[in-house]
Amino acid sequence: MSVTAPSRAFSQAEQSLVDRAAAALMRSAAGNSERQNALSMLKQEGLPSRRTEAWHYTDLRNLLGRVGSAGTGAPAGDADILAPLLPNGHVVEIGAATDVNPLAGVTVQQVDKLPEWKTALNHLDREFDTIRLLSVAFGAKATKIDVAAGETPGGSIELRAEPSASGSHTYAICDVGDEAKAVFVERLSATSAGSLATSVADLKIGDGAEVLWIVDQEKGAGETHLSQFNVTLGKDAKLLLFVLNAGGGLVRSEVHAITEGEGAEIRIRGVNLLKEGQHVDVTTTLNHLVPNTTATETFRNVVTGGQGVFQGMIRVSQDAQKTDAKMACNSLLLSDDGGFSAKPELEIFADDVQCGHGATAGEIDADHLFYLMSRGIPERQARALLVRAFVDEVVEEIDDEPVVEALEARIDRWLEAHG
Amino acid sequence: MPAVQETIDQVRSIDVDQYKYGFETLIESDKAPKGLNEDIIALISQKKGEPQWMLDWRLEAFARWKTMEEPSWARLHYPEIDFQDVHYYSAPKSMSGPRSLDEVDPEILRTYEKLGIPLKEQEILAGVRKPEEPSRLDEEAGEDATPQRGRVAVDAVFDSVSVATTFKKELQKAGVIFMPISEAIREYPDLVRKYLGSVVPTTDNFYATLNSAVFTDGSFVYVPEGVRCPMELSTYFRINERNTGQFERTLIIADKGAYVSYLEGCTAPQRDENQLHAAVVELIAMDDAEIKYSTVQNWYPGDKDGKGGIYNFVTKRGDCRGARSKISWTQVETGSAITWKYPSCILRGDDSQGEFYSIAVSNGHQQIDSGTKMLHLGKNTTSRIISKGISAGKSNNTYRGQVMAQRRATNARNFTNCDSLLIGNECGAHTVPYIEARNSTARFEHEATTSKISEDQLFYCMQRGIPEEEAIALIVTGFVKDVIQQLPMEFAVEAQKLIGISLEGSVG
Repeated sequence: MSVTAPSRAFSQAEQSLVDRAAAALMRSAAGNSERQNALSMLKQEGLPSRRTEAWHYTDLRNLLGRVGSAGTGAPAGDADILAPLLPNGHVVEIGAATDVNPLAGVTVQQVDKLPEWKTALNHLDREFDTIRLLSVAFGAKATKIDVAAGETPGGSIELRAEPSASGSHTYAICDVGDEAKAVFVERLSATSAGSLATSVADLKIGDGAEVLWIVDQEKGAGETHLSQFNVTLGKDAKLLLFVLNAGGGLVRSEVHAITEGEGAEIRIRGVNLLKEGQHVDVTTTLNHLVPNTTATETFRNVVTGGQGVFQGMIRVSQDAQKTDAKMACNSLLLSDDGGFSAKPELEIFADDVQCGHGATAGEIDADHLFYLMSRGIPERQARALLVRAFVDEVVEEIDDEPVVEALEARIDRWLEAHG
Repeated sequence: MPAVQETIDQVRSIDVDQYKYGFETLIESDKAPKGLNEDIIALISQKKGEPQWMLDWRLEAFARWKTMEEPSWARLHYPEIDFQDVHYYSAPKSMSGPRSLDEVDPEILRTYEKLGIPLKEQEILAGVRKPEEPSRLDEEAGEDATPQRGRVAVDAVFDSVSVATTFKKELQKAGVIFMPISEAIREYPDLVRKYLGSVVPTTDNFYATLNSAVFTDGSFVYVPEGVRCPMELSTYFRINERNTGQFERTLIIADKGAYVSYLEGCTAPQRDENQLHAAVVELIAMDDAEIKYSTVQNWYPGDKDGKGGIYNFVTKRGDCRGARSKISWTQVETGSAITWKYPSCILRGDDSQGEFYSIAVSNGHQQIDSGTKMLHLGKNTTSRIISKGISAGKSNNTYRGQVMAQRRATNARNFTNCDSLLIGNECGAHTVPYIEARNSTARFEHEATTSKISEDQLFYCMQRGIPEEEAIALIVTGFVKDVIQQLPMEFAVEAQKLIGISLEGSVG
């Protein structure tokens, strides 16, 4: 592609982003055409705005500028000494040299070439290309992780990025073989204010395989993190995805799931904790392509400030009869300084399905508060208790004690500091 | 089994394109040449005998429209509309201000007769309920039952000119102004000027701006302070002349403490070219006022191959301007090839209420993208949305709605329920709600479900000898009952019948 003239006048933030990507490409030793193409596309199209439906509540064009441009200063430092989130966790640094001593049943390889550019999940989803485009344009480093068929590794695989002051760009390609069972943790920890990081993960779950995938996002204030998680599920495959957003300045977590085999089961649970100065967007699409698959999705949001966004789409194609899909998004607004926007969508083309969604937003229930206070619990404590109960309800759905404990510890730490 | 003639006839009789109201009135009409420019607008304005300020207003809107782009965000697919290939003005020629029904062209009267439009009050009663069941209806009317129950004043818009207005005198006695908007512009210029465009500004959106430039007629209602309008007001729109876009403009003002219930119903003759319809409805409710606006829309939806049908791009918005005011929208949408319609409420006054009840039925190749907006601006405002979408055939039915509470909208409350029912596996049902809370005391609840008609229910009905198609109509009627109950009695019966007709041919 040789056309690089912008299709319109760019905002300052956009221009600065494009310049950064171009400068990074100049610095990189080996030029590659894929990266060059991505940069050309970025130079031409820029970033999505409010008018792009998939980015309706996250106007990247303007928000990026507000969160800050190029990052300077050293990495926050504690990133490299962090202990794994789960006991028996095995840390894999994405893009680093091939792991010579991985967990049994797991192979970890550095990859030079990113997976071939597939334009989105289907033609409607071109709007979801942005994060992948940025990731390629900034020269994401990639690692391929395979869990062999029938294996159950003895610990969790914890994915991390190499710490970088200006922001890291990672691409994880994970393949879980038939009948295997694996636990992945994506650890996104603080680097430095003003950094821009992207992470893309492509996960393939084989027939009858089971995956627990945990995203622990605790970026620092003023950091931008854009992530995309793409998963395909084979026959009778199971996925439990847990997303914790407890940090960051401008955060977008996209989840795109596709059921390719009958009997596949998707469970998504998530907690978004927001404070002043943050913009956190969780956008998910569940694409049911084959009959007899189920999905449940629940997000709980606690907003003490900032702007929270949830966009959730359930898509049922014409062949996907007997789909059972449910989605819920509940937000607790604890301050008038914050806001929450939800867009739970259904797009149904098959008639024999059970699909539904619910969304609520409100403050702490006065009756619940009264109940606790009438039993002698001071208001502050009673509120904290109710907020914790609201959040823990979804965490406890994970049927794995060490995982629940680890996540509750992170959540408690946040609630104590900001709740 | 070979298909016997009886079967063939039966199949033919339930075909989707057996549009009951597909006849055409052949009367001479007076129309402007195709196309849109300043001269056409001046011609419309002149035909209507409008003052200069009105023409200026139109021209300003037109200048703005030329800079706007047609919106494309809705889940609708249709060939590009050539806005220069439309007649923007058309009036029945024989109409030069009839003083009574006798002066109305008999062809028009016959059209109304076929449509069952009740121009006289006796006909109204005869048209909507069977003689053997009047008492039951009255009982159900409950507290609303007044001695005038059942009376409907009709302002019929035949293509672009209001042909006849009944009950005008009685309304005048109560101080209610109910007349075609073109007349109101001449007779009550101050009132019109004060409120026109105050809810839907001329710059609002592509179709509303187009309407502002070229609207030809519509209704104007003003209910003065403290007056409870003594009867249901009603208007029937009917697109008749080939290739004429109809651009009505309706403006309803309920002053302090007033109440008015307004009914709008539409049918259009069958024809092949797609027709454009871009109406604007503005409602204004002052302190303690209440406006109830009900619509039954059953325009021609196109034939079984998706050919023809009305394109319906409507901007309807109510402004709860005063404290404790209330605006309620009820709609039954069964017609049109394309529906783009979002009746909304701006809950500006403290303690104001907004309601939206909707049934949208799509069959054949129809596409509906409809919903509402509830914008909570004032304190203690509440809103309620009940939407029932039914898709059959190869149609697509989308609910798109926004609920928003601004920072100062303390204690805003919303409840939304949107359910979709799918009949057949070639149709689509979609839900796109936008929920935006900017205030911690706001409480929003939203729920949506999509399912099909339960086999058990269908089996239960069929086992008792009810044919499949009737059984489906019966179950669907149950599915939409929450909304039907909100319709004025005159419409409820018609609406139920319409849903049955719309779903014909959806089985098998």
